[in-house]
Amino acid sequence: MDKLPEIILHISTYFVSAGIILATLRLIKGPTMADRAVALDTFTVISISLIVLIACIAGRVIFLDVGMVYAILSFIGVVAVARYIEGGL
Amino acid sequence: MELQQGIFVLMGLAMIVAAILAMYVKDLVSSIIAVGVVSLFASILYLLLQAPDVAMTEAAIGAGLSTLIFLYALHKTKDAEEEND
Repeated sequence: MDKLPEIILHISTYFVSAGIILATLRLIKGPTMADRAVALDTFTVISISLIVLIACIAGRVIFLDVGMVYAILSFIGVVAVARYIEGGL
Repeated sequence: MELQQGIFVLMGLAMIVAAILAMYVKDLVSSIIAVGVVSLFASILYLLLQAPDVAMTEAAIGAGLSTLIFLYALHKTKDAEEEND
């Protein structure tokens, strides 16, 4: 039964890697800047989950604080990009 | 340990792709977004290299403030160019 958390961590890391590859394809292809803004938002959500996964793998609690700070500040960045596309800022 | 090396290689490749995209893309907003993606993956690489405080600073300044300031500067300069025309 000790192998089960390790298997779960491996499988979820594979899914996160597939998400990063697909979002990178959207970042490369995306014809308009709105597509790339959506790709940036996807990257932030995937990165927060990846930071939590790294905290689980390494077994350090301090990594969760990094994920929390990143979740707050990346939201500001995505909102700024969306506000610029809308025409305000 | 093998899992962390896989994440390391994937982050490096994504950083290279986003940096090349930031140079060759046409409009400036997409370039700013690509620079933000590079900073994001650099933050995760700092985290993998056991430096959480550097990763937190990179996430705050690189991904949050830098994107905002670049967009603000682009907005200001575009307004000035339209006034001159």
